[in-house]
Amino acid sequence: MAALQEKKTCSQRMEEFRHYCWNPDTGQLLGRTLSKWVWISLYYVAFYVVMTGLFALAIYTLMWTIDPYTPDYQDQLKSPGVTLRPDVYGERGLQIIYNVSQNSSWKDLTQTLHTFLSAYSPAAQEENKNCSSGQYFIQKEFLAANHTKYSCKFTADMLQNCSGLTDPNFGFEEGKPCFIIKMNRIVNFFPSNNHTAPRVNCTFLEEHHKDFKPLEVDYYPSNGTFSLHYFPYYGKKAQPHYSNPLVAAKFLNIPKNKEVIIVCKIIAENVSFDNPHDPYEGKVEFKLEIQK
Amino acid sequence: MGKKKSAVYSVEVNGIKDIETVDEGDGKEKYRGLKNHSGHKKDHQKEELKKELDLDDHKLNTTELEDKYGTNIIRGLTSTRAAEILAQDGPNALSPPKETSEIIKFLKQMVGGFSILLWAGAVLCWIAYGIQFAQDNSVSMDNVYLGVVLALVVIFTGIFAYYQEAKSTNIIASFSKMIPRQALVIRDGEKKEIPAEQLVVGDIVEIKGGDQIPADIRILASHGCKVDNSSLTGESEPQSRSCDFTHENPLETKNIGFYSTTCLEGTATGMVINTGNRTIIGRIASLASGVGNEKTPIAIEIEHFVHIVAGVAVSIGVIFFIIAVSMKYPVLESVIFLIGIIVANVPEGLLAAVTVSLSLTAKRMAKKNCLVKNLEAVETLGSTSIICSDKTGTLTQNRMTVAHLWFDNQVYQADTSEDQKAQIFDQSSATWASLSKIVTLCNRAEFSPGQENVPIMKKIVVGDASETALLKFSEVIMGDVMERRNRNRKVAEIPFNSTNKFQLSIHETDDPNDKRFLLVMKGAPERILEKCSTIMINGQEQPLDESTAEAFQTAYMELGGLGERVLGFCHLYLPEDEFPDTYPFDAETMNFPTSGLCFVGLLSLIDPPRSTVPDAVTKCRSAGIKVIMVTGDHPITAKAIAKSVGIISANSETVEEMANRLNIPVEQVNKREAKAAVVSGMELKEMSTEQLDEILINHTEIVFARTSPQQKLIIVEGCQRQDAVVAVTGDGVNDSPALKKADIGIAMGIAGSDAAKMQQTWSLLDDNFASIVTGVEEGRLIFDNLKKTIAFTLTKNIAELCPFLIFIIAGIPLPIGTVTILFVDLGTDVIPSIALAYEKAETDIMNRKPRHKKRDRLVNQQLALYSYLHIGILQSLGAFLAYFTVYAEQGFKPAQLIFLRSEWEDDSINDLEDSYGQEWTRYQRKNLEWTGYTAFFVAIMVQQIADLIIRKTRRNSIFQQGLFRNKVIWVGIASQIIIALILSYGFGSITVLSFTTLRVQYWFVAVPYAIVIWVYDEFRKLFIRRYPGSWWDKNMYY
Repeated sequence: MAALQEKKTCSQRMEEFRHYCWNPDTGQLLGRTLSKWVWISLYYVAFYVVMTGLFALAIYTLMWTIDPYTPDYQDQLKSPGVTLRPDVYGERGLQIIYNVSQNSSWKDLTQTLHTFLSAYSPAAQEENKNCSSGQYFIQKEFLAANHTKYSCKFTADMLQNCSGLTDPNFGFEEGKPCFIIKMNRIVNFFPSNNHTAPRVNCTFLEEHHKDFKPLEVDYYPSNGTFSLHYFPYYGKKAQPHYSNPLVAAKFLNIPKNKEVIIVCKIIAENVSFDNPHDPYEGKVEFKLEIQK
Repeated sequence: MGKKKSAVYSVEVNGIKDIETVDEGDGKEKYRGLKNHSGHKKDHQKEELKKELDLDDHKLNTTELEDKYGTNIIRGLTSTRAAEILAQDGPNALSPPKETSEIIKFLKQMVGGFSILLWAGAVLCWIAYGIQFAQDNSVSMDNVYLGVVLALVVIFTGIFAYYQEAKSTNIIASFSKMIPRQALVIRDGEKKEIPAEQLVVGDIVEIKGGDQIPADIRILASHGCKVDNSSLTGESEPQSRSCDFTHENPLETKNIGFYSTTCLEGTATGMVINTGNRTIIGRIASLASGVGNEKTPIAIEIEHFVHIVAGVAVSIGVIFFIIAVSMKYPVLESVIFLIGIIVANVPEGLLAAVTVSLSLTAKRMAKKNCLVKNLEAVETLGSTSIICSDKTGTLTQNRMTVAHLWFDNQVYQADTSEDQKAQIFDQSSATWASLSKIVTLCNRAEFSPGQENVPIMKKIVVGDASETALLKFSEVIMGDVMERRNRNRKVAEIPFNSTNKFQLSIHETDDPNDKRFLLVMKGAPERILEKCSTIMINGQEQPLDESTAEAFQTAYMELGGLGERVLGFCHLYLPEDEFPDTYPFDAETMNFPTSGLCFVGLLSLIDPPRSTVPDAVTKCRSAGIKVIMVTGDHPITAKAIAKSVGIISANSETVEEMANRLNIPVEQVNKREAKAAVVSGMELKEMSTEQLDEILINHTEIVFARTSPQQKLIIVEGCQRQDAVVAVTGDGVNDSPALKKADIGIAMGIAGSDAAKMQQTWSLLDDNFASIVTGVEEGRLIFDNLKKTIAFTLTKNIAELCPFLIFIIAGIPLPIGTVTILFVDLGTDVIPSIALAYEKAETDIMNRKPRHKKRDRLVNQQLALYSYLHIGILQSLGAFLAYFTVYAEQGFKPAQLIFLRSEWEDDSINDLEDSYGQEWTRYQRKNLEWTGYTAFFVAIMVQQIADLIIRKTRRNSIFQQGLFRNKVIWVGIASQIIIALILSYGFGSITVLSFTTLRVQYWFVAVPYAIVIWVYDEFRKLFIRRYPGSWWDKNMYY
C-alpha cells in the first residue's frame, strides 16, 4: 500500500487541483466536460422545478383547506396574554422607573401612552358601532359592510382620568401614574361562561410587600371591567376595525423611592393566570419605582 | 527449466526431501531477500543482518567454542557465570512487538477520523456560547449543552470502539499465549530443568524429540536428531541435525539448531550461541516490525469522508456567513450562524454506527473462523484484488492421500475428498487383491491406540505422511488393517532408506494351506520395476515384456505429470522348498531374493486440494480477484494442484505449453496469449523488477513455485506496484515480513506460528482458503453497508441544515432546534443506521470487480450528491410542509412568517399579531415554535423511514431484495417511531427538550413525501438496472 502512503507535496496537490479545475486533455472542467455540465444542470433544473411545483401544490392545498376566518387550532391560545402600556423592559421583564421631578424621565412614558391611545380616537373608531349591552355580541351573519362583522367602539375617553384628554401627563407628574392594561385578542374567545365581564385586579405582589398597605387603584372604565360586548373576537378578516377593550389603572399610593412589584390579573372564568412558564398569561407583572 | 528432469518426481517414501538439490542458493536468496527489503528501512537492521552473516560458530570446533563462550562442554556454565550473563544479555525471549500503550490506543480512538470533526464541533459550540455570553449573559445554554453532548458522543463512542478493539485483540492474544517452556541444561556439572527464558549464551542444553529448541544452538552431539525448520524456512520436510559443519551458510549447515523450531525425533546436545532477540528468528521478527505499518483502506476512506463532510460544512458555513453579513446581521451573530451550520453538518451518530457495524461483521466473521485483529481490517479483505495463497494446508488438505491407482494396465481414480467415503474404482480384479495385500503389509505406520470411535480419517497415525496415507487408504477399503497384519505375521523387514529407495517385508500368509512366505516390496517405481521380471495382469503373472514396460512408463509419467508422488508395489511368494518355516531371514545380509519379483501396480499420492477450494477460487475469479499461488513446492505439483483447484483454469496454457502445442520455440510465443504462468524461484531470482511486473500484468493465472519464503515479499511488492490490494496467507516466521507488507496478512490459525500471528491483520482458524472468500464477501458487504449507512445518515443533514439557512435568509421562526437535531442524530437514527449493517448482500456482490482503492471511494461524488441534493432536498421539502402546516393551522400563514424573526424572538413583544389578528405572548409563540420543532422532527423521522428502506439496496429493487429479509431494519423503524412517540407524548411537558405533544394528523403530513422518496429511488434503481453504463448510471449509482 506504499502508493497510498506517499506524501504529496504541496505543489503536487496544487497541480492536481488545477488539473481538476481544468483538464486540458479531456476538456473537463471541475471533473466534467462542458456538455456533461449542461446535462447535469438541466437535470437538476428539471428536478427542482418539479420539486418546487410539488411543494407549491402542497402549500396551495394547505391554504385551501384553511378557514380564512378562524384558525383551525388554538392549541397555544387557551388563555389570553395581558400587556401593559407603557411597556419598558429591563433586565427581567417590565420595569418602569421615573423621577417625578424630572420631566424628561417620564415624558417618553406618557408619549407611549398617547401614541397607543391614538388608535382609540373617535376618528379611528368611526367605523365601529356603539355598544352598550354589556352582553356577548354574538354575530352569526356577516351583516356589516364588505361582508364583515361589526365591532364595538372603544374610545380613549372611556378611560376618563387616564384617557390623556383631561390629564395629558396621565398622573405621572404627581406620582399617581396611569397604566393601561390590554388583554390579547383570541378568535372566538369567551372570557366567561356566565356573563360576568372580566375584571382587572392590580395588587402589590404579596410575598414582596407584606408590610405595605394594600395598593389603592382607580380603574377606568369603572370596576376595571372589559365589557362583554367586545367579545367574542371574530378575527381580522371578519372584524377589520376591531380594537381591544382597555382598562386603565391609576395607582394612588405608590411609595416613593422604592421599587415595588405590581401584578395586574384578569379575573374571569376562562382566563387563567397561574401558568408557571408564561408570565404574561392572564396577568401582567411589572416593577415600578417612582423617585422623588 | 528443471522441469523435464524432474517430470518423474518425488519417489521417496520416507522422503528426505530434495531441497538441497533444487535450491543450493536458497540460503543466500533468503539473505538477499532480507537485505533488499530491510536495507532501506533502517540502518541498524542492516547492521544486524551483517552480524547474522558473521555468525561463524558452525565452523568452530568444540574447543574453540568452549574458549569463545567460556564454558565447559561436560560441566556447563557455573550458575554464577550464567547469572552474570543473564544480567548482561537479558532473558532468552523475543521481546514482544512494540505494543502501543493502552492509553495511546485509547487516545487514538478519541482523536481519530470523525472524532476530530466532533471535537471541533464541540469546541465551536463553546466558542459560540462564549461569544453570546460576552454579549448578553442571560443567553440560553443550548450551545453549551450541544457542545457537551458532542464531547460525550466522542468519549462514549471512543470508549466503545476501544472496548471492541480490545475484545478482538484479546481473542488473538489468547492464541499466541504460550505455556512457559522448560529447558534441560547442564550447569555446574548437573542436569537441571530451568525455564527456557533463563538460558544464556554458553549453556549446554539437551533436546529430545518433541521439544522446541529453546535458543539458537550449535549441535555438539546428535543421535538421529531431526528438526522441523518450517517455521523458519517454510519447508516442512524434517531435516537431520548433526555436529558436522556441512555448509558455509549458517542457515544451511546441519550443526546449528534454531530457536523456536521443533525437534521431531532423536536427541541432541548443543551449546547456546544466541538467545532472545539475537536469534535468527528474533532478527527476522524485528525486521518484520520494521516494515511500515500501513493504514487500512477503510481508515483512509473514513478520512476521505470526514474531509468531504468537513468541506461541505465549512463551505456552506462560510457562504452563509457572507450572506448573513451582507444581509446586515451583526458579525457576531453571523459567526454563531457559521458555527451552527458547521455543527448541523456533523453526523454525530455515525461514528458509533460505523464502529458497531464493523464489530458486528467482525463477530459474524469470527463465527466463520476468521478473526480480525483490528476492526478496521474487517473491510480490507473486501477490497482485495490479489490473493497470494500458499498451497499446503490452505489450498490442500495438508495430508498425503492416495489419488490414483494403476493396475491391470489401467489407471483408476481414488476418492481424495476429506472423508474418502466413495471409493468407486473396480475392486473385483484379483490384481487388486494382491495389491491391497502389499499396501496393507508393506507398511510400518500404525494407528495410535485408543481411537476406536474416531473416524478413520481423523485417527492419529504413527508414521510418515506416505505410509499414513496408505494405511488409511487400506483401512477405509478393507477395514481392520491391524488384524490383517496380525494374521500375516511379519518375519523380516528392511525399512526404507534413501540408497535402496525401497521398503521390503516378509510375511507368513494367512492361508493355513499355503506355507510359503510372502515378500512384499514398495518403493520408487523405476527401482521396483528393475527388480521385477513378471507383471500381474488380472491376477495372472505374465512376463514383463517391452509393451507392458511401456505401459508402465506411460502410467508413471502420467501420474508423475499430475504432480503426484508415485509408488511401485511388487511381491513374490518365496518357494516353500527353498524357504521352509524355519528359514532364518536376515535383513542385514538379505539372504532372500530381491529380484525377479512380480510387479503388481502403482499407487500415486498427493496432498489433495480441499473440496471447497475450487468453488472458492471460481468465486474469487468471478469477483475479479486474482489468485496467485506461492509455494515452496515443486512446480509440477504446484501446477497440478493449481489446475485441480482452478487457479489455472482448464483451458489456459503456459507459454511453454503453447510452444509445445504450436511446435515453436518458447521465444516466439506471444506471451500475452498465454493466460497462465508457472514461475519457479530460480527464475524469479534472475528477474528484474520490470520482468516481474510484466508477468504480473500479462498473466491472469500465476503460480510461483519453489519460491524461497523471502521471495514472497518481492512478489507482494510487485503486486502492490500494480495498485492492487494484496492479501497474503502465511504461517511461518519467515513469512512475517511478507505478511506485514501485505495489505492483509492472513495468518493460518492452526499451523500459524506466533511470530506470524503478530504481524497479521487476519487469522483464519481453519486454514481454509474458502474462509478467505467468505472474508472477501463479508468485507465487500460491510463496505456496501457502510456506504448505505453513510448515505442514510448524510441525507437528513440537509433536512437539518435547510431550516437554519432559511431561518437566516427568510427570517422565519426557527423550524428545528439544535437539541431536536441531536435527538434525530443520536436518537431516532442510530438503530436504523446500525440495522443497515445487517443488510444482506445484493446479487452482484461477488460478480463485480474489487474496488479500486483510489477510484472507488466509500463516499463518492454520486453518493454525496444523491444524498444531499436529491433525497436530502426532498426531505427538507417534506419537513417544511409539516412546519408550514403547523404554523398555518395555528394562525401563522406562510406569508406572515417571512421576516418575522426579529419580532418573533423579541421577549418584549407579548402581543404579536398572527394572520387572524390574534395576539400571542412570547411564551405562546415559543410553544408554537416547539410544536414546529416537533413536527419538523417527526417529518424527518417519517421520511428517514423511507430513506432507510430505499438504502437497503443500491441497484436492486426493494422488491428484489425483499422488504422483510432483514428483520433488524424493522426493529430500526420501530425504534424510530417509538423514540419519536416517547419524545412527543412522554416528554411533552419538559421544556428543556423543546418537544411538545403533537396533534395526530401532523405525524402524517410528510408521508406523501416519504412515498415520493421511495418511488423516486425505485425509478433511479430501475434506470440503473435497465441502462447500465448510461449517463443515468454514471451519475446516479453510488
